[in-house]
Parts: sequence; C-alpha cells; structure tokens
Amino acid sequence: MGRIVAGLRIAWRNLWRNGRRTGITAAAIALNTAVLIVSFGLMHGIVVDMVRQITTISVGDAQVHAQGFRAARSFYKAIPPAALDALLAQATTAGVLAAPRSFGFGLVSSGPKSAGAMFWGVDPVAERRAFGLPGRIARGQFLADRVEGRSYLGRPVREIVLGRKLAKTLHAEVGSELVAVVQAGDGSLGNELFTVTGVLAGVGEEIDRAGALVHRQDFDELFVAQGRVHELALSSRGALPAEEVAARLGPISAGLELQTWGELLPAIADMVRMFDGVMWLFALVFLLAAGLGVTNTMLMATYERMREFGVLKALGASPWRILGGVTGEALLLGMLASLAGSCLGLAGTWYLTRVGIDLSGGGDLVVQGMAMQSVWRASLTPADVILPVLAMWLACVLAALYPAAKAARIDPVRAMTHV
Amino acid sequence: MRVWLLTAGLLWSAAAWAAGPAPGAGHSAKELLDKVDDLYRGASSHGKMSMRVVTEHWTREMKLEFWSQGKDQSLVRILAPLKEKGTATLKSGNSIWNYLPKVNRVIKVPSSMMGGSWMGSHFTNDDLVKESRMAEDFDFAVTFEGAREGLEIIEITCTPRPEAAVVWGKVVVVLDRASELPLRSDYHDEDLELARTMTFGEVRLLGGRRVPSLMRVVPADKPREATEVRYDEVEFDLDLDAGLFSLRSLQR
Repeated sequence: MGRIVAGLRIAWRNLWRNGRRTGITAAAIALNTAVLIVSFGLMHGIVVDMVRQITTISVGDAQVHAQGFRAARSFYKAIPPAALDALLAQATTAGVLAAPRSFGFGLVSSGPKSAGAMFWGVDPVAERRAFGLPGRIARGQFLADRVEGRSYLGRPVREIVLGRKLAKTLHAEVGSELVAVVQAGDGSLGNELFTVTGVLAGVGEEIDRAGALVHRQDFDELFVAQGRVHELALSSRGALPAEEVAARLGPISAGLELQTWGELLPAIADMVRMFDGVMWLFALVFLLAAGLGVTNTMLMATYERMREFGVLKALGASPWRILGGVTGEALLLGMLASLAGSCLGLAGTWYLTRVGIDLSGGGDLVVQGMAMQSVWRASLTPADVILPVLAMWLACVLAALYPAAKAARIDPVRAMTHV
Repeated sequence: MRVWLLTAGLLWSAAAWAAGPAPGAGHSAKELLDKVDDLYRGASSHGKMSMRVVTEHWTREMKLEFWSQGKDQSLVRILAPLKEKGTATLKSGNSIWNYLPKVNRVIKVPSSMMGGSWMGSHFTNDDLVKESRMAEDFDFAVTFEGAREGLEIIEITCTPRPEAAVVWGKVVVVLDRASELPLRSDYHDEDLELARTMTFGEVRLLGGRRVPSLMRVVPADKPREATEVRYDEVEFDLDLDAGLFSLRSLQR
C-alpha cells in the first residue's frame, strides 16, 4: 500500500515538472472524455426514444397473431376465441397490458375522393390503457369507449379516426362523413356511413397512409367479422424489456406466434444494434486522438529524464519498476483528466437531456416508417459514463507503454552519460 | 351489340364466341377472333344473369340485371340477395361508380382499387373497364387443330403486341371446330404462368343467338375457388334511355 502511495506521489510530482505540457494533454483527454460521454448520451437517447415510440404508441413490446397472418394479412387467419381469452388472462396475471385488434382492407370515400384503407377494429378502452395511440390525435378526439350514445352535432354517428395522410387524401376533416365499402367476411358487400371524429398525428407510415380506426363493434358489423381478432398487442408501457414481456406471456399455444417488436420490425432492431457499433467506432477515433497526445507527452517526459532512469537502474531498479512508474504517471494523468472530462460531459448531457436538440424543422421526423420525437434528447445510463472513462484509462496506459518500454530498457551507463 | 357480360369483365376475354352457323367454314384465326369480338358489339343489350362465387371461406349467389349501350356504358344492378338488393355498378368510359342503397351514397372506385375484386367475385374492377380487341392487341396463330379429348377443336394462341396495354402475357383460346364457339380460354400472366382459366358451356339460344350461357372462371392459384356466371335471359338492340347510364339513374 505504502509503495502505491509513494508511487503516486512520485508520479504526481513528475507530472507537474512541466506543468504546461501536462495541462494541455490533460485538457485534451478531458475534452475527449466529455465528447464521448455526450455522444454516448445522444446515441442512447435516439435508441431509447425509438424503442419508447415503438413499444408505447401502437406496436407494443410484443404482439400475438395467428400463424401466417402477418405474411398475407388474411382476414380469415384470426386468433381463436378460446386462445384469445387465455392470452388475455395470462396478460393480466403477468401484469402486461393487452389490446385486441382486428384488421380488414376496404375503401373509404368522402364526397368525390376515395382511397383504400386498412380498417382497425379497436377496443378504445384497452387502447387507452395500454397504448399512446389514442393520445396522438392531431385534431378532434379518439373513438369513444362505448358505441352507445355517440353523436356529432346532435345526431347519432359511427365514429372513425383517420391516419394523417389518409385524411389528407380524402380531404376529410373532423365531422366529415365517410362511406366505407368492404368485402365482408361472408363475401357480401359491407358498407356503412362513418363520421370522422379525429385525425391522428404522425404515428408511423402504415397508419398515417392507410389507417382507419373504428370501434370493434362497428368493425364487426361492417366486416361481418363475427368477433375475429387478428392481433393482440402487448405493452408494459416501457416498464419491462420486450423480451421479458414475451417471456411472461409464453409459452404460446400452437397455431399462434408471439413476436417482440424487434422481430416485428427487424429494420429498426438492426438500426438499434448498428448504433452501438457506430458508437464504438466513433469512440475509437477519440480514444486514438487522446492516446496519441499521451504518447507524445510521455515520450518527451521520458527523454528528458533519461539520466534519472539510468541512475535508478544503476541503483538496482528493475525494468518493470520503471515501466510501472511511467505507465502509472500516464494512468494518473488519464484518471485526473477524465474526472474533469466526466464532469464536463455530464453537464453537457444533462443539458441535452433537459433541453435537447430540435430536429423538427417544422415537420415530423420519421425513421424507418416510425414517427420519432422531433426533439432529440440525450439519455444517460451509468454505462454511458463508465465505459468511455474506463476506455480512456486503458488508452492512456496503452499509449504510455511505448515510452515506458523505452525508459525501462535503457542501458544505465549510456543513460547516465547521456547529455 | 354487346352483351353485358362483356362489361362484367368477360370482355377482355374476348373469348371466341362465334355465333352459330358456318360450321367448319374454315375461317382464319383473325376472322375467328374478330367474330368473337364483334359478336356482341352493337347498339345495346339488356338481360338477367346469376353469379355464383365460391371461395375457400364462403359461397354466395347473386341475381343481377344488366344494361349496356355501345362500347363504354353499362349498368348492373343486384336483384338478390336481399341484403345487397339495389346495389348497382355504373361503368362509363374508364370509370366505375358503385351505388350503395344501404347508405344511399354513390362512390367512385379509385384507380388504386381497380385491381380489387368486383362484388367479391374473381373478376376485378379492371376487368369491367378494360377494352381489349384480340385481333388488334395480340399477335395470334392457330397452334392446334384437330381432335383433343374427344372434341374437334381449334386452338389459337395469342401473345400481346409490345405496344398493347393488356395485362396478359399469353391467352390461349380453344374453340369448338364445328360451331366455332369457345370452349375455354387460358390466361397467362406476364411471366407466362397460368393465371386463370375460363370455361364455357351450356350453349343455348339467347336473344336470338346460340351462345354458351355459362362461364366459369377459376384462378390458377386457388383451384378450388371459382366464379360462375349464367345468363338467364338476354335481349339485344333495344332502345335504352340515354339517361340510364348516368349517376342520377344509378341511384334510382
């Protein structure tokens, strides 16, 4: 212990022999550390935002479908009622929120405009409880919980909520009357009048372009759906990792499939993984820059002290001891500087967590068809600080190895006569 | 004069429809195809038909009444089942409108939905409006003539001309050699894969012509599904009110 303290004291004294040089290198290390921490925080922020958007707005942590439904979106590939009841019970036990949804393709028409639409038969109560979608309304309001007693301007109506782009295509606004025409489950021509009760904000490409949300009961009548449910979307409202949600629901009965959002949206899952790789590549550049500064400083410091190293060796110091002394100096430098850098980085990240960077530029931000928060906020975990700092220490030690080895291998006689 | 069935989508088929006589007259392939195309082209038609659609999930039967005028105008109204009674489709030029009595609204079928099914059948909305004249849009040749499966037949293979706006890559029309009436047509997609097969049967006198009164379409990818159209009565060359093919009359 005493040796370590003595070593540190020697290292400290040595560092400040040339205070300006050490100071500049320390500043470089501190700045690099700060930039790394802020960047990790920002990258993490994107990932957290993306995952939160996906898991809490409409996709959820995981979804259950009948096998083969997702490929063809076949109306007839529904989750059997018994299996659905079991799943809902299981979700309740597991503390996971669940929203059953039905899907059917059809035509919506508003005056002279018509467009193809994907009808969502939703349970507004379950959606409100489990997902953020009912809150993502740009104009008007979301579907009423019950079909009884709905009215618009005093007359009874069937309500429909439209995706942003679909509403635009139809020139539909809150209060607009729409005709829905679909191929019903029994082959007949289902048609019904709806009144637009709300228009969604940008949520995701699929819903924006074609989403037409109606109450489950209306969906059932329109499509003669006989209660068919095609999707059970599961959400922990961000409380649990998706894999945990899936694990709590499993095992799933035969004929059904349970997939996490990462499996449902592989492109986004890949992107999240890619961010990690990109981040460490980015980090490598900064670590290299800081490391080269340390090498330079330590190289100069050892050249200046060649005579001392010669004396030390002549007095019996082992090469290892000298190696340890020099790398210890670099490590001390790295530790002190990265401590300062961490403070700076934390302050910067804290600011970006609170205020963020506005990316909207007036429009919505959509990545891979998913709407993102338009303000880019950092998100910080302990790992985002500890990993860059540890990496910086390692870089300092590695950078000092070459000068240290040079000092350790020196021939005492030549070193002492060195001018 | 042109029967509604053409507007119902069978038109594109232009399936060889030689009307009756001149058995074994040895018409050229062009003459045969032209005869088919021209057979029902004319002033007007009116009639009733039944349509039976069988799919994997349901089977349904509809009674329809139709009117047509010239090349571009036709109107179809559903008589049964009750749930859809009064539902009507108006075709005028390249556009299709549907009238829905339940909600009392007329809607225009958007171009993005033209590939969709018409009234749940195996015909698409596009089938209703596509005008295709075999002898003009296709290069053709008699590829077989003689006995096949116990019938004396003529087989004409049609391939689309490069500039022709047709969706098929190849159409093979098989006619009965004696009557020159169509027996079947095979429609191949652009990759020359068989897409659907149409067969004809129950030749009888309709509006003064001997024509097959039954047509059956089977999609190649779902061989257990089919749409069958049966003509119950047809009359040709009648005087139809010009206002019949209007949006106003559609809602009547």
